[in-house]
Amino acid sequence: MSKARVIQAEWQNDMVSFSRRDFIKQVAAGGGAAIILGNLGVLHLSSVMAEQAVTYRMIAVDLKKCTGCRTCEAVCSAYNHKQKVNGELLNGLGNPYLTNIRVHGFNPDVDVPAVCAMCLDNPCIEACPVEPHPETGRKALYRDEETGTIRNDRKRCIACGSCAEACRAERVGIIYPNPETNKPERMCTLCDGEPQCVKYCPYDALSYMEIDLEREFYGKSPELIAEELTRRWYAIDGKEGKNE
Amino acid sequence: MSKGMNGYHGVILDIDLTSGKINRKPVPVEDTAKFVGGRGLGMKILWDRLKTPGIDALSPENPLMFMPGPLSGFPVPASCRTCVVTKSPRTSAIASEYPQASTVSYSNMGGFFGPEIRFAGYDGMVITGKASSPVYVLIDDDKAEVRDAKKFWGMGTDEFDRKFIEELGDRRFRTCYIGPAGENLVSYACIINTAARAAGRGGTGCVMGSKNLKAIAVRGTKMPDVADHKQFLDFLEQAREGFKGTDFTKGWRYGGTARALAWSSGRGSQAVRNFREGTFADIDKIGDEAARQKTWIRDFACYCCPLSCKKSGAVKTVSHTGLAHDGPEYETGTMFGANLLVSDLGGLMKEISSGDDYGLDIISTGNVIGFLMENYEKGNIDRTFLDGIDLTWGNVDAVLKMIDKIARRDGVGDMASKGVKLLAEKIGSDSDKFAMHVKGHELAAWNVHVDPGMGISYVSSNRGACHLNGRTLEEQNSNAMIDSTGVCLFADYGFGEMGLQNLLTAVTGIEWTKEEYAKAGERIFNLERMFNFREGFRREDDTLPDRFFAEPLTVGPGQGAVLDRGEFTKMLDEYYEKRGWDPKTSKPTKAKLQNLGLSFTIET
Ligand code: SF4
Ligand code: SF4
Ligand code: SF4
Repeated sequence: MSKARVIQAEWQNDMVSFSRRDFIKQVAAGGGAAIILGNLGVLHLSSVMAEQAVTYRMIAVDLKKCTGCRTCEAVCSAYNHKQKVNGELLNGLGNPYLTNIRVHGFNPDVDVPAVCAMCLDNPCIEACPVEPHPETGRKALYRDEETGTIRNDRKRCIACGSCAEACRAERVGIIYPNPETNKPERMCTLCDGEPQCVKYCPYDALSYMEIDLEREFYGKSPELIAEELTRRWYAIDGKEGKNE
Repeated sequence: MSKGMNGYHGVILDIDLTSGKINRKPVPVEDTAKFVGGRGLGMKILWDRLKTPGIDALSPENPLMFMPGPLSGFPVPASCRTCVVTKSPRTSAIASEYPQASTVSYSNMGGFFGPEIRFAGYDGMVITGKASSPVYVLIDDDKAEVRDAKKFWGMGTDEFDRKFIEELGDRRFRTCYIGPAGENLVSYACIINTAARAAGRGGTGCVMGSKNLKAIAVRGTKMPDVADHKQFLDFLEQAREGFKGTDFTKGWRYGGTARALAWSSGRGSQAVRNFREGTFADIDKIGDEAARQKTWIRDFACYCCPLSCKKSGAVKTVSHTGLAHDGPEYETGTMFGANLLVSDLGGLMKEISSGDDYGLDIISTGNVIGFLMENYEKGNIDRTFLDGIDLTWGNVDAVLKMIDKIARRDGVGDMASKGVKLLAEKIGSDSDKFAMHVKGHELAAWNVHVDPGMGISYVSSNRGACHLNGRTLEEQNSNAMIDSTGVCLFADYGFGEMGLQNLLTAVTGIEWTKEEYAKAGERIFNLERMFNFREGFRREDDTLPDRFFAEPLTVGPGQGAVLDRGEFTKMLDEYYEKRGWDPKTSKPTKAKLQNLGLSFTIET
């Protein structure tokens, strides 16, 4: 736990130096992880954390720094959907439709990049009805033990869409079944250890790190996050304006 | 994708709102090669569609076009723009034989809309006709349909932005729309996206309103191919590197265009008091430092843009606390602030949010209100004329009432909705001398006394007064090209000398040398000029308001500055000369047109 804690502390320092006043206001507003988690009505993640020996490095977003530019979408798509050009395997052109990290924009202006949270209790895998493989113990949706990423075994997948439903109902909602095959897609691959979104985000809003599961907004849907950020950022006395 | 069309889909979506017919039309390879995309390709289509001069800009025939460029949709830095091209409902000529003569209009907006048009599989959208009742157009890849929008008619842009996405059911749809101003045919209504970005100038929202078109939504999954994939990735990497950590990038992020508020005031080039002055004593109350502390919440970037010039905001600690809207930019802060002597930052924010919500071009609206304020001060009009509004300088409540009246075209607002040129005719009393427009299109937030080059930019622009036109012909040609590529003008510098040319070459497979690039810009600019000429615009239409030659600045560092008519005329003569235009008529010479591949514009 300690390592993740240290990272968490550094993270918050960043936020404070970015905007000390706003940060203090956020705390004073009483919006905390506990409250947000309470909204979900699902398993409290920190209890899972306590039982687990491992945590994974994954993509973390600093929502205050994100500008909604969607460069992350393009570079994710380019890396993960390579193209053969004159016999050479090259990055794709960056069609954002294919991205594993997806920026959701709201009004008033809030942008929430949504990416697989690599949930330790993996509700997506839990929901997969395919029997575990006798040798590997893997269902059709499974976790790659080394990286912790969520993978789909196309051959055994029965295209029922249960994983996507579970992820949407309980967590970030990042699985999009392929429109033709209905098999799950858009789970973060971590780009062979060199996350492209982190590398190319022009605003340094993304990090590749071990995340404290009590970190605010961890595993939340973009809608929930946007709702909370809208309240914090834009409801200043809140009498006039677009806040309902 | 048609063969030989690298960088393009080769398809324009053609929507006729009268019949409801939607067609996919091929784009000739020759046209993309010569006119590139965006503003240029839109101009070519406008020329082809409007075969006879003098048609009413608000008639169903006038095409309203949404034109991304060949770099749109690729993750090139700041490749986010959509150029809206149409015939202008704003401009008029001094002595044209056509009563409905007007210039071209093009207006460029950022955001995500243009890239999405390309993801849906099109290089542009051409909308003609008029729906019998309010509609919106929905484009979902190959599917396109016209849908009823009656329940949305009358809705402000901010509420509509949220309600519309709810109706569409997916945030991946990119939308743009008009507000009540466009519906009511206010001549300077604009088109809005993301509740605050606008194709502001040139009355594009008025044309959209005339078609009974409330909104367009688009979503797509595709991308065009490129000519040289590997080279493209290399140039893309270079371009990204070029923006990284530079002072140029840092400056944009730090202050957006609002940085220019204090800077421009400090050199006497700001529009203040209806352009009577160039410096605003209270600028620090509404400048970027004040805005940063009291209104800015976060930086907001357009598609793949590393500059994030837009500042999402909410008013803290001043009047109108709690109002959530973008902070002031240079244009909005000047035209609704300095130009009206408004120094109350909260009040300014309220004006801006109201202007955006109605879907008004804030530049023209601020110019019109400044003109009325000056006439009121001078006694040329009284309070009765203004429907009882005490329209004094700096009076935020009065400004808000005028904005409301203009958007609803109520009482004095009906007259004011037509712009300062027609207002001056109505008011008389020599008010035309300080009616700040060129060809009927209002001047933007840059004053001219200390900056004659801006005067050239205003008079020689093909859409009527335009501050982004460029002070020299080289700048103008280059800007016409930028507007045609899909990349943002503000980012131009960051690409370095050959960055954009190289990217265009890799994408299109056409060798875009520096010379060819400049020449294409010149070609586009000349085609616009020929369109205007055909409508009956002549040299005498390229004229600045009298004020700049008659009334020297009285305050600030520019004190005493005034333009000399003789010198300005000489500057303009030299400009036409260099352009290869007849200085008497401003008509491009035959040789020039032939050289540019515009022979088709020469009447036989
Ligand atoms: S690239 Fe960075 S700033 Fe841009 S949307 Fe993604 S996370 Fe946000
Ligand atoms: S975010 Fe969704 S896909 Fe990723 S681990 Fe959690 S439930 Fe599974
Ligand atoms: S780490 Fe790689 S796969 Fe995961 S979201 Fe980032 S770019 Fe996409």
